[in-house]
Amino acid sequence: MVSPKGVDYSKILTRYDIKAQNEASPEAIAAKMLPKDPVLKKVAETVVWMKFKDVGPATTEALKTKDPLAIINDGLVVGMEVVAKLYADHIYYLPEIMMAAKTMEIGIALAEKKIAGGRETKGLVVMHVAEGDPHDIGKNIAKVMLTSTGYSVVDMGKDVYVDDVVAEVVKSKPMMVTGTALMTTTMTAFPRAAEKLRAKGIGIPFMSAGGAVNRDFSESFDLGIYSEKAPQTPPIADKIKAGYDWRKVRAEWDEIVGGV
Amino acid sequence: MAATRFTKMAYSSADEIVFGTAKSPVSYGFGIKVGAGRVIPELNYGPRPGTEKDPARLKKEYVDYISKDALLRAVTLGFPDLQLETEWISQMGNKKFSTPVVEGQKEITEKFHNEYGICTAVRQTLPDQREAEEGLRPGMKGKHLYPEALFGCAEVACENGADLLSCETMGGKELADHAVTTGDVVAFLYGVGYLGAIDMEYVWSEFANIAKKSKTTLGGDTNCSGANTSMFMAGGMLDQDVQKTFSAVTRAISAARTIVAMECGATGPDKDCGYEGPIIKTITGRPAAQEGKNCQCAHADLQGNLMAQICDVWSNESVEYHPEFGGSSVQCWLGSLGYEVALMNCAIATGNEKTLRDLYMITDRTRGPEGYMLAFDNAYKVGEAIAKEGKNIYLRAKAAGLTAAKVVKAGNEAKELGLTTKQRDVLNNIIKELEALPAEEAKFFEYCDKKYADVPNYTKKNYGL
Repeated sequence: MVSPKGVDYSKILTRYDIKAQNEASPEAIAAKMLPKDPVLKKVAETVVWMKFKDVGPATTEALKTKDPLAIINDGLVVGMEVVAKLYADHIYYLPEIMMAAKTMEIGIALAEKKIAGGRETKGLVVMHVAEGDPHDIGKNIAKVMLTSTGYSVVDMGKDVYVDDVVAEVVKSKPMMVTGTALMTTTMTAFPRAAEKLRAKGIGIPFMSAGGAVNRDFSESFDLGIYSEKAPQTPPIADKIKAGYDWRKVRAEWDEIVGGV
Repeated sequence: MAATRFTKMAYSSADEIVFGTAKSPVSYGFGIKVGAGRVIPELNYGPRPGTEKDPARLKKEYVDYISKDALLRAVTLGFPDLQLETEWISQMGNKKFSTPVVEGQKEITEKFHNEYGICTAVRQTLPDQREAEEGLRPGMKGKHLYPEALFGCAEVACENGADLLSCETMGGKELADHAVTTGDVVAFLYGVGYLGAIDMEYVWSEFANIAKKSKTTLGGDTNCSGANTSMFMAGGMLDQDVQKTFSAVTRAISAARTIVAMECGATGPDKDCGYEGPIIKTITGRPAAQEGKNCQCAHADLQGNLMAQICDVWSNESVEYHPEFGGSSVQCWLGSLGYEVALMNCAIATGNEKTLRDLYMITDRTRGPEGYMLAFDNAYKVGEAIAKEGKNIYLRAKAAGLTAAKVVKAGNEAKELGLTTKQRDVLNNIIKELEALPAEEAKFFEYCDKKYADVPNYTKKNYGL
């Protein structure tokens, strides 16, 4: 046996993950971003530290003295912005995003009940996984990223027929529709759906994503735009909300997702 | 057929295990002998988008283009063996699509065998489209009747000439997805280690009954839907959405689940994308199909060389059929695959197989925690933990996870394996959580059934509980 003992592994490989790790403390970063107001700070902290059992009591307490919209925008959302910063700095990772988003949603649900007519979101997105495809983890992560940045989502689930996607878009009039696929033979549903949408005079961007999908494919049909990974979805949605159509998203795609 | 549990190791030491040889070799197809002293290349491929539109086009793609191209290149390059693997696309759930493909591949592999003497076989890998929300077992009346369709696919494959039958079953996926995205190792243990094992026993017992009629060889399974999701999200050096220590532990847990196919009659070689294969081979002695350095057409991972260490079948995972400078994509990747296999077989022929095995292993041993845990000496330790608790699917899966975590921790403490602070924190937390679990299966089930009641699409009815 060739023994691994005493091998100088630095001559074989480089552990860039260890070299690049960020040792900054999340507490120090959070301290710079958390609200100054003690009531809102307490609410925001429940999100940053993913205390989903504490967010309810903290939000209920805040509702006694604060406007519900302020609790959402200046407390819960600020907490999520701290989480996003920690994620961008490679201090937090996916599990923290998911748990923080869950915490924020609990707080938002409580505060929203006190807003007459409900809260206005940044926009509506219809999401689905292609017909014949059961792989929905990417769609579920992108959904959390969209909702945690202020969008509302109609989640149609997995293995969704093309005609059902078209019917949902007609019914709920979203600003964007997304489809994910893990297999090259299921992603072909996306151009078919886009064509049917165009036939109905609908011109919203159709974001396609997932393991099998690449940028060339996504941009091979009218309406199609690409997302390589879930965190790219909110910045693209922000541009669409700002008035970009699918052609302009394609033209500026690299700049829009740069660094994400 | 009830599962016959493995409670002993097939090998008396880790050093005994090497590529190309298994304790229980398997023969099938036209002259293929796996684990009998020679590694076999296995080529997998995907049809071009659009060819799935009608049965005739799909058959032409799989048989006249892909299979023929591959067989011709194998003969051109002087490869003695070629195993093809067709992972059924969703449309092949309809027998009008699948039957001509299975028949056509059988015919063309026989033709090449007769004409050139090349040993050939086709593995038909079924699509498990079952969805937890619709029910995982026949009779649960889901919209698509996917459970019924799964066993229907097995009938079609066996009746029409599959040499080897495999499947990537999805039981427990609803909890595995939750586990991976939230970093919850107990959810993974419950979903994959426990519920997944129950689902495997149900599905593979049925497959065994079906395959018996046509004497089709049962290959095996993979936890592609769970441990591979974890591994791919843990990704490379720059992708750390899932921590690599978490991924290493989920891989070990998945071994306690994937082995169930063999407990229900599968003889191997199991599925290439089951990176838990080295652990399973230490216990069962049955041939392992693996993938790594020659599957860069499909994905990258941190143990490309290491995965070849004890394989009996070496695969490219999958490549979409398209033209390359050197021929079609299947021809190019078969070339890459076949020459690697030739190197392994040369090592065997010259008595240097253990040296090459060790070099494969050492090359990636410290590239990441998952590779470290899968290095054959460490995989053997995880195998021993599974075999020791072999009779109980919960205890053995827990033992696999805990042993893997402790192996990685020991490697880090010995300064052999580097870990980031986050990877170390997650690892320590995993050990704490697994050690805190009850010693009794019934208590574990009761605890998890309540704890995960709100996980989307989870229902114990899917597992006959």
